[in-house]
Amino acid sequence: MVRKKYQLIEHTADIGIIVTGKDLKALFANAASAAFDIVAEKRKAKTKIIPKIFYSVKQEAEDLQELLVNWLNELLFLSATKEVIFVDFTIKKLAPCYLEADVAGYASINYRFKAEVKAATYHELKIEKARAGWKAQVIFDL
Amino acid sequence: MSGLWSGPLEKIDDYRWRIPRSYLPGMRVPGIIYADEKLLKDIRNDKALEQVAHVAFLPGIVNASLAMPDMHWGFGFPIGGVAATDIENNGVISPGGVGYDINCGVRLLKTNLEYKDIKDKIRDIVHALFSYVPTGVGSKGDIRVSQKEEQDILVHGSGWAVKKGYGTEEDLECTEENGAIDGADPQAVSDRAYERGKAQSGTLGSGNHFLEVQVIDQLYDRDVCDEFGLDLGQVMVMIHSGSRGLGYQVCEDYVKNMVHCLAKYQINVPDRQLACAPVNSSEGQAYLGAMKCAANYAWANRQCLMYLTRKAFEKVFAQSWQKLGMSLIYDVAHNIAKIEKYTIDGKEKKLCVHRKGATRAFGPGHPALPERYKKTGQPVIIPGDMGRNSYLLVGTQKAMDETFGSTCHGAGRLMSRTAALKSIDLGKLMKELESKGIVVLAEGKGTIIEEAPQAYKDVNDVVNVVHNAGIAKRVCRMRPLGVIKG
Repeated sequence: MVRKKYQLIEHTADIGIIVTGKDLKALFANAASAAFDIVAEKRKAKTKIIPKIFYSVKQEAEDLQELLVNWLNELLFLSATKEVIFVDFTIKKLAPCYLEADVAGYASINYRFKAEVKAATYHELKIEKARAGWKAQVIFDL
Repeated sequence: MSGLWSGPLEKIDDYRWRIPRSYLPGMRVPGIIYADEKLLKDIRNDKALEQVAHVAFLPGIVNASLAMPDMHWGFGFPIGGVAATDIENNGVISPGGVGYDINCGVRLLKTNLEYKDIKDKIRDIVHALFSYVPTGVGSKGDIRVSQKEEQDILVHGSGWAVKKGYGTEEDLECTEENGAIDGADPQAVSDRAYERGKAQSGTLGSGNHFLEVQVIDQLYDRDVCDEFGLDLGQVMVMIHSGSRGLGYQVCEDYVKNMVHCLAKYQINVPDRQLACAPVNSSEGQAYLGAMKCAANYAWANRQCLMYLTRKAFEKVFAQSWQKLGMSLIYDVAHNIAKIEKYTIDGKEKKLCVHRKGATRAFGPGHPALPERYKKTGQPVIIPGDMGRNSYLLVGTQKAMDETFGSTCHGAGRLMSRTAALKSIDLGKLMKELESKGIVVLAEGKGTIIEEAPQAYKDVNDVVNVVHNAGIAKRVCRMRPLGVIKG
């Protein structure tokens, strides 16, 4: 079993994550993966092969924190409007103010929803260097 | 959850507490919390009190950063927070002070049915409601409109729904702002927000949203009950929903935009989620125009949900909703910012009143109220959890004097969703609800656990505080019979 790259943090009404990554690209990918773990879980065994759906994402921001919020909110927007649950996140370029990524997922119909995540917020948002790589905290509005 | 809050809290009286302005440099006003000793114990357990102090940093804030007894940790603003800013004194508007679910709110309708008439039909009613009303994350409804018609919804709110045949003129009279707030600007709503809200009119959503069949089990003010046509044993229906994806996206768009306004207007706030701009700035005006669109969308949504509710009852009872006496008592917003006039230090001021998890509670005689509620004050609807009670109250002059015409909005969460999922057993919970005669149907089983009664404060304690503090007056209490959730 693969060790989870994040842990949930308790918030009275909403939910937060503390996520780690060996570098910033991994941190952003793991944060996205955690967000979609909160949103949905795969329905039990399907016999037929379901097609994967691909999107490219580009985001700009004034700093790294804003970039993380924008990245997560862009994915939540795409998920809600295209009805896709994302599972693969390949960050191709990441500078403090710019991100380019390829993301892939499956139609939402193959998933059971656990929560409606409205947005990633700035509240208590943190990104910092950790012992081995990077660590971030994000609180989502449910 | 995050340690006991250890900041200063001065007792004013049994129901009012103050965080002095001296607590944090940068606070422009003190914080005032409406609570009793019992509720305060829980309130101290999360970061909501710190957030009350943070809201006091907002430029132009008047009198105090207020919090209601159902308060709990939010993001930026606490849930249960009320803050009014003086528009002519660089007062700001903050999307975080309204929240992502713009005009999340509640409506209450009565019926002429009595509990004894329906006690064997509750399961049928709940199943009919569940089949008529789309529920769950991203749920879509049968009400489909073009983008042009969507703009009509954003401007005319419930009025659009009534024009389509989903209600009556009387419904509009019994809705805050007549179901459409003036000044909505569809141009200020992004294409992304339109896209995210598409096909969601007439859908309940998920999380804490619900549709509940209730019975009146306690009268507190017989005269007001007579005015409203309410009595013990009468069956009521409560609807709790908001602006769905459109509102979330409007909030997100403008938080993103206003984070940059903090530097532009040299605004110092301790949390970026309190991003804001002067109400009179171009950014402030654009947000206000867009927020009003989302608010109108939410009113139209609850009007459509009520139409579907009436249809479900018609199906079960084989009678028209008019014959079943299904009239709207009132519809209130509890996540909104409003421009309202108040007298501050003897001078009339135009204020931007943020109610983040707080309900408008205008007292008797207020010009914004319809004729039928001028004498009693505005009906205030307070939903509780699915196992205990909900309340109908009326607004008071004291609320006008102390809280910018505001009061609490619900029971308020006590336990995090993760803690609820860890500690509550679904089977046991369903048995408990069943033993109380409550039928629950939900799209997701997790939702039932997350929304379990023990995850909430006792609404009876919350309402006790607002009643005794005088910022709303109890009229009657309901208990749940059947609930549908997302």
